[in-house]
Amino acid sequence: MKQESRTKLLRKYFHLLIFRPIVKLIFGVGVIGRENLSGLKQFIIIANHNSHLDVLLLFNLLPVQKITSTHPIAEEIYFSKYQLVFKFVKFALDPIWVKRGKLEKKEDPFKGTKLILDRGENIIIFPEGTRGKPGEIIKFKSGIGRLVQQYPDIPILPVFLSGPERVLPKNSWLLLPFWNQVIVGPPQYCVGAHHQITRFLENILTELSESESTSRHKRNISKSQTPLSITFLGIDGSGKSTVSRAIAKNYSNSKRVCLISDNIELYEDGNLLRVQKLNMERIRHAIGSYAKTAKSLKLYKIPKLTELILRNALCAEVRKWYNPGLIVLDGAPLLNIVAWAILYKGDVFSDESCSKLITILSGEDREIPDSDPIFREFQELTFLKRLKLNNLIIPDAIFMIDVLPSTSINRIDSRGEEKQIHETEDKLSKLRHAYLQLCNVIKIQRENPVHIISGESVKEKVLSDCTEIIEPLVQTDGENHE
Amino acid sequence: MIDSMQSWVLTGIFGSLTLIVILNYLKQKRFQFGSYLTYTWIFFLSFICVKQLSFTIGVWVLALLSFIALREYLSLIDIRLQDRLGILGAYLTIPFMYHFVKTEWYGMFIISIPVYSFLAIPLLVTLGGKKANGTVFSIGAIDFGLFLFVFCLGHIGYLLHYGFWKPILLVLNILICDAVCLSLRGRTNKAWQEYIIKLLLPLPFTIGLSCLLSDWTQIPAFHSCAIGAMIPILVLMGHHLGDYIKEDLGVSDEALFPGRGQILDNLKSFFFTAPVVFHYTRYFLS
Repeated sequence: MKQESRTKLLRKYFHLLIFRPIVKLIFGVGVIGRENLSGLKQFIIIANHNSHLDVLLLFNLLPVQKITSTHPIAEEIYFSKYQLVFKFVKFALDPIWVKRGKLEKKEDPFKGTKLILDRGENIIIFPEGTRGKPGEIIKFKSGIGRLVQQYPDIPILPVFLSGPERVLPKNSWLLLPFWNQVIVGPPQYCVGAHHQITRFLENILTELSESESTSRHKRNISKSQTPLSITFLGIDGSGKSTVSRAIAKNYSNSKRVCLISDNIELYEDGNLLRVQKLNMERIRHAIGSYAKTAKSLKLYKIPKLTELILRNALCAEVRKWYNPGLIVLDGAPLLNIVAWAILYKGDVFSDESCSKLITILSGEDREIPDSDPIFREFQELTFLKRLKLNNLIIPDAIFMIDVLPSTSINRIDSRGEEKQIHETEDKLSKLRHAYLQLCNVIKIQRENPVHIISGESVKEKVLSDCTEIIEPLVQTDGENHE
Repeated sequence: MIDSMQSWVLTGIFGSLTLIVILNYLKQKRFQFGSYLTYTWIFFLSFICVKQLSFTIGVWVLALLSFIALREYLSLIDIRLQDRLGILGAYLTIPFMYHFVKTEWYGMFIISIPVYSFLAIPLLVTLGGKKANGTVFSIGAIDFGLFLFVFCLGHIGYLLHYGFWKPILLVLNILICDAVCLSLRGRTNKAWQEYIIKLLLPLPFTIGLSCLLSDWTQIPAFHSCAIGAMIPILVLMGHHLGDYIKEDLGVSDEALFPGRGQILDNLKSFFFTAPVVFHYTRYFLS
């Protein structure tokens, strides 16, 4: 008992003499609404979570006598990676340890928390569950509603923290001094169903986040003058090459259009322009034709991957040298790679890993740690990332020309060329499913419009269907540039 | 005799400033001019340190002020995640700059930011990440803050080398102008009327004070008058610039507090005055 009270005293002075001065002097804290905290005997603080500094800022807010009787909720596994860190956190903050993930049926995740609340002490909880994107409030976990529901008499103090997301953002090691604003909202008493309480609290925190004292300078980056890029996806024999060429020709009357297919073609006023070939294009062409002669899927993989990455690089080259107003891609490198990944590892593929794959390949992977299982599953990904080749573009609009594998096999047969290794009905059907899954994921994950068009009908019909959708896109793009 | 008189005056000003700052801090409803006095107090703290303790400590007090001001500015501007290295560079510039002030190394003091930081920060910003979009803006915004809050304010530190009372005169004159500007805020309908009054009203006071202190500052009467006359104009220019910056950064005059534009608001008068008065002194009087 004596030991415990000594630790408490030590903790109190540790906060007063070390944490508070550091937070105030190095980072700077501005508190709005501190009066909302005064006079409360017991409380639950809820706050948005962006950084490890959050909890120190909240402790900075507390009256001196409440320092030792307030406990943040922390995930045990996260902090127990290093023994020293664990001990320090335990001493300095005395958190309530919880486990995340699936629990056994009878286990109550809030057992420790309830014990503390029953004792008349206070808790700090981050209902988002994890450090979200900088400056954004993500959806609250339902746990907060369930907990609050059982303690209708304890006031909830909503606190919005603005600034810590800059001091120490997630995935950054660089601690920088920035001013923090702590906005304390009026205490809330909640009754009702747990999901209602969760939503209610989420709304309150969002409202606080929109208050004037968090407003900052916003730079207005005008959309850069990059040309609109549209892509046609589809399995071999779906007619995507034909359609993309026809579209390129059609739109070349109003602007210069570049078609990136097996060859690069530049159209103006409906005519094919003769242009000097790019060196990168020559290399790609050579590798592409080599891939087409591959005898097995394994041998097909590396040259095809190289070809696709070169194709992506070509988009930038084309922009630089040919200055087109519209780029039509016959298959987009990023999407093709993902579709092929699904084809190779179809059995372990889920929407989630598909979405992760897109994020990594498009170079927006700051959120995904190197230890993520996805890198183990696709070893090429680590390779690409290390070489910084994972900067593939996602086209502004995606069209999937959907045909049945049997139709496409018929079409391929009628060409009379030698078949590529993957051009069998079974593989094409798998590839088709991969593309469809991919389209679905992009639709959910991003704002880029995705359209699935049936390619079974005659060429003219497919073309008119596509034109109908492309027309408004091209027009709004033109307006933006003006 | 004069020396003890100077000490008394200095102690008197510092003492009364301290008293006002403490009283203002304790009061529930703080008066707006109090924050101006707080920053004037910090300048005087630095001067007192120079006089009583050592030049080094005084200069580091100014460095701390620069840091706090720059921190506020950087907290308000819109930065990208990948600008963090550049911002680290900006913070690291402060100790170098004030070290050059301390060692009276004029050459480095005057070029460290316009040349070295100016080149280093763009490099650091571009090393921070892959996205090119917004790079020019970020470099501009960080460099601009560095110029305003470190380079411009640093001139007051260097002015100490040209005489102890010269920076005091500058700070007091600026305080007079700020007081006049603040009391006139929103009193007149027309902007040009306000500007003219803000310009003319403090003029007798600033010229008078400059002439009064000319024995101690060792500035001849003519130059005292010139400095006294130019300070209100420069302060007004600083106010004009500061107001534009504040508005762009998204802070309103009604809700100013530390971290939300108050420091910028209180130091805006120094943006033009400090460098111009410094170079005037250096050119004509040193």
